[in-house]
Parts: sequence; structure tokens; C-alpha cells
Amino acid sequence: MSIFLQVLKDLVGMFMADARMTTAILALVALVALLINKAVVAPLTGGWILLAGCVLLLIASALSAAVKSRK
Amino acid sequence: MDWSTAAPAVSAAFLASLVEVVEAFTIILAVATLRSWRPALIGTFAALAVLALVVIILGPLLDRVPLHLLQLIVGILLLLFGLGWLRKASLRAAGVIALHDEDAIFQKKQAQFNQEAAQSESSQDWIAGITAFKAVLLEGLEVVFIVIAVGAGRGLLWPAAGGALAASLVVLAIGAMVHKPLSKVPENTLKFGVGVMLSAFGVFWTGEGLGIPWPGADLALLYFAAIFLTTGLLTAWLARTPKPEATA
Repeated sequence: MSIFLQVLKDLVGMFMADARMTTAILALVALVALLINKAVVAPLTGGWILLAGCVLLLIASALSAAVKSRK
Repeated sequence: MDWSTAAPAVSAAFLASLVEVVEAFTIILAVATLRSWRPALIGTFAALAVLALVVIILGPLLDRVPLHLLQLIVGILLLLFGLGWLRKASLRAAGVIALHDEDAIFQKKQAQFNQEAAQSESSQDWIAGITAFKAVLLEGLEVVFIVIAVGAGRGLLWPAAGGALAASLVVLAIGAMVHKPLSKVPENTLKFGVGVMLSAFGVFWTGEGLGIPWPGADLALLYFAAIFLTTGLLTAWLARTPKPEATA
């Protein structure tokens, strides 16, 4: 059983390379879904917000890790 | 089958599976070299049987999930998975974290196996089999996820599975010939490329799940991939640049 638990733990780790980035991605998707659902923005605009958000999150998360590694 | 739609899914499944199978092969080889091929193969086939069971049980459930919901779930998981890979690959390219080295992993696995065998009362064959089982199960589950993720949204499960199978056969054929860890495979470059493709698929499917009409439909995958490739390279460059030293 511990083998399967270990594999399960590794699998979860697969989607959570960085806890802060994971949380931020989930928050971004929730925000875009809300904006589209409440008709605050057009669906396509929501799409560009999603894309731009992912790009910015990737840069921010990697640079934060790089800065931490130099300390 | 429209190849302009299928090609990105098949190539993403092929490349991602190539990386995963190389990793599994390194561990199987470490076990087989240190102990023997028998427990390594028993562990491998037991894991493949579990994987087949997972696919047989979960496969039909996919048809019952509404398409938009499936696209959204798969898209979000792909974003988490793909951006995670791309982040790590950019940091590796920048020299912030160590490069993935199959030779080093091979040595480490052998040392780990020796240590476990010395500490445990279980037979060495059992430990060898379990080590191979865990490696194949974990890497195999990643392959199953990737195939479902890039194929399910457009009914391309079989072509994507074909891409994954082709990758497995390529690694096994080369592995059988060279009989040592496939350290010449440019794994870090492949991971960078796969991270780019999975992130592109992630944005695409999440958007489709949210009802976003991407301009150019499936062609959007190509410009998303171009954007993530540029971002990954830029991130690696920025991470490599040292912070300016404060002058006294």
C-alpha cells in the first residue's frame, strides 16, 4: 500500500512543482472564468488575460526561484 | 483524421513520452545491472498491468464527462504540469538548478538500491522488482495523463496513444542496442520543448472549456507555442543574468 501512496504523492507533486505558482494559476483561471461568466469582459478578452497571466506567472515564478538560489 | 489538428497532439505525446520512458528505462537498467533482468522485468510488467487496468477502468469514464468540463479539467492540469516543466527547464537552462543527468541518476539509483538491500530483510529480488515497478508505474501514469490531456479534447486519444507507443518502442530499441543509460538523449532540451507544447495545450483547452473562441481555432496552438517558447527563452536569459552587485 505504501508503494501506491508514494506513487500518489509523486503524482500530486507532478502538478505542484511550485506551490505558489500552482495557487496563482488556479486563481488566474478562476478569475478569468468569473470575468467571462459575469460578462465583465468578452470571452476572447478573457482568453488573452489567461494567456498573458500564464506568461507573467512563469516569468515571476522562475525569477523568484533564481533570486532565492543566489541568496 | 485531419493531420493539422492531430500533428501537435501526436508530436507532444511522442516527445513527452520519450522523456518519461528514458527516465523509466534508466531505473530499470540500474536494477537489472545490479541484480538481474528477471526482477526488473517482473516489476516492469506488473506496473504495465496496473497501468492497463487504470486505462481500462478510467477510459470509458472519459466519454461520460461533458466535453467542455473535460477540456477545462484537462486544460487546468496541463497548465499546472506544462508551466511546471517549462519553469524547471528554464531554470536548468539558466544554470540555476542542475541539469538532468541520466548517468548520475543511474549511479544514484544503484547506490540507493544497495542501501535499501543492506537495510532490509526482504530479498534483493523483491526490492529490485519493487524499484522497477514504482518507476514504470509513475512514469507510465505521466504518459497516460499526457496522452489523455493532448488527445481527449478532440477525440485524438488513439493517435496520441500511437505517438506514446512509438516513443516507447524507440527508447526500448535503442536501449536494447546500447545497453546503458541513454545519456545522449538531449533530455533537458526535450523537456523545454515539451513544457512549451503542454503549456500551449493548457491555455488552449482551458480557454475552450471556458467557451473562448480562439482566433484560427486549432492554429491558435501554434502561436501559443511560439509565445511560450519565447517566454521560456527570455526567462532562462533573465534568470541567468546576475543581479548587479551593490557598490560600497
